Amino acid sequence: MELTSTLSRDLVLQVSSLLNEPDWLRAKRLLAWETFARLPYPTTRTEEWKYTDITEVPFEELSLELPTGKPSAIPQAVQERLAQAQLSGYAVFVGADLVHALLPEEYRQRGVIFCSLHEALAQHPRLVEENLFKAVNWSDLVGTQQNRPENAKIPALNAALFTHGVFLYIPKNVEFSKPIGVFKYLEGGKLSGSRTLIVGDVNSQAVYIEEYISPSKVAASVNTSSTEIIVGNGAKVRHAHIQLLGQGFYHFHRQRAHLQRDAALNDLVVNMGATISRAEVQSEMLGPGSSSEMLGLYFTSGNEHVDHYTLQHHVADHAHSDVLYKGAAKDQSRTVYAGLIKVGVGAQKTDAYQTNRNLLLSEDARSDSVPQLEIGANDVKCSHGSSTAPVEPGELFYLMSRGLPRHMAQQILVKGHMTDVLTRIPIEPLRQHIERIIEEKVRV
Amino acid sequence: MVNQLEIRNLHAKIVDGETILNGVNLIVPKGQVHAIMGPNGAGKSTLGKIIAGDPSYEITKGDILMDGESILEMEADERARKGLFLAFQYPVEVPGVSNANFLRLALQAKKGGEVDMMEFYGKLQKALQTLEWDESILTRYLNDGFSGGEKKRNEIMHMMVLEPTYAIMDETDSGLDIDALKVVAKGVNAMRGPNFGALLITHYQRLLNYIVPDAVHVMIDGRIVTSGGPELALKLEEQGYDWVKEMAVSN
Repeated sequence: MELTSTLSRDLVLQVSSLLNEPDWLRAKRLLAWETFARLPYPTTRTEEWKYTDITEVPFEELSLELPTGKPSAIPQAVQERLAQAQLSGYAVFVGADLVHALLPEEYRQRGVIFCSLHEALAQHPRLVEENLFKAVNWSDLVGTQQNRPENAKIPALNAALFTHGVFLYIPKNVEFSKPIGVFKYLEGGKLSGSRTLIVGDVNSQAVYIEEYISPSKVAASVNTSSTEIIVGNGAKVRHAHIQLLGQGFYHFHRQRAHLQRDAALNDLVVNMGATISRAEVQSEMLGPGSSSEMLGLYFTSGNEHVDHYTLQHHVADHAHSDVLYKGAAKDQSRTVYAGLIKVGVGAQKTDAYQTNRNLLLSEDARSDSVPQLEIGANDVKCSHGSSTAPVEPGELFYLMSRGLPRHMAQQILVKGHMTDVLTRIPIEPLRQHIERIIEEKVRV
Repeated sequence: MVNQLEIRNLHAKIVDGETILNGVNLIVPKGQVHAIMGPNGAGKSTLGKIIAGDPSYEITKGDILMDGESILEMEADERARKGLFLAFQYPVEVPGVSNANFLRLALQAKKGGEVDMMEFYGKLQKALQTLEWDESILTRYLNDGFSGGEKKRNEIMHMMVLEPTYAIMDETDSGLDIDALKVVAKGVNAMRGPNFGALLITHYQRLLNYIVPDAVHVMIDGRIVTSGGPELALKLEEQGYDWVKEMAVSN
């Protein structure tokens, strides 16, 4: 099938029909397309994008990455991760194709659903329809984003033209603690879009790790991802988004979790690659007693630019949220963090914290940090703090005076800086993996 | 080859700042332990840091030679790998890396290859035994949350494991109670031998009761003004620094 090469309404229709989607989904895609077509791109005049200039991003100059249907081997880089990660189930995407998936029989028997989003559309249409676009869509902006509709531009592009995705459903009272891992290997040179939908039913428990990998240098490429996490009453979800894309990638991730009564989310974002990468991570405490831990780690080198936006939206009372984002930047790279704690009028007894700390390894590296509070209730505990500082020369001298070359001394200081986040990652193989990436990045 | 650490007419200042050393001459032969004493602000600690390669100071004149080779152009890590060690007055707290792992990395860097684990643990055990310490100190993050005394003792442990040729101890004794001081002295004395030279920087004669130096030097205003045997330390303890200061002025 020959597809229209430019982004258009026709292309949206063609993608939907290529993927045999139901009418409701095609209709949603069209709504998203209308929003995308209508809105301008965010610019540095858009408050939330003040420090991230995306004028160079070729959103509309690349061809859309579509499923080829051809079998493809698991790339070496993914095989290495599979060998190390100690996962229960896993899925491997190459481009838009799901090339390998595994879910232990035991999980299947207990009703766990783990498959591609389009398989879920065919097999479990109601579950998908009820939840898809519930948390991340093309119109529902919260917090400061509300006043600037262009914040919906990229999520609208994703909703209109995503080509693949993952669906994970954990039934009521089913718990597992070994992670399920999804690896997305992208060759680059395309416009890619994917969605992840995670639904944890009442009192369930799950661990999900999603990792983006590509060759270390690629032609200009754009990747958009949307992740929706629905955490039901008393359910617990541990989620990690790991971005290790190569130079040439522009990566835009938007994630939003809905937390019901006594629900708990432990979230981790790791941003350690791509030319420009932006992760927007939002937690909505919709039920009383819900709790959201949101951790972030980033380390940039060369000319990399990472941008993070977090939102802790307290709608219900007695909920807890804790953001801890820590990063380091070397060479001429830049990091950005902006975060908002928004406490609604009824959200009494909210307990919300937000901390961002940055370490600069060179004079040309730069970190911007913008923590914000917006509090509508009167009986709450909220605090926020941020700092950016260069490596202390005395610390470097101490470590080097024991014989460690400068790069190793820096590596130890970067890890030391990130230790309080690293120690909050209970998945040992994942933590080791991240530590190794940090080590490599310091060295090059 | 000259087996000594030689400081030759060393002048130095803080980068973009004031002058601290005004022509220091000092020789520590391998196999000997020397002490440098002097009042606050004399430049003793600065001398120690400069020998170890602290980049916050600038050398304006003179040279530092280790076994006849100038080390001025080397960065701190290279000097350390050549066999130099500085026990810091204020060791840095570094979370994220355990004390033992850090030492293993340092030893690896020095040897330029993998360290035999049995041999490494043997060294650790020996050091712990000498310093009357238990193993729990190995798994804690490097100096993280250590008390002042623990930090000083840990510096000596690092020295014992890394086995430098020349060690400088920057006020390792200050802030230690007498029992801790004895333990630290035990560590230093255990290192003494024909292949080890040390320079003890101290305010107090007290340390020298436990580590008897081969020579004592007195530093005032960035210069060594007089040198002698262990008896010089006792004289300073009794009479203070005024007589040396007067001597320095009349010179």
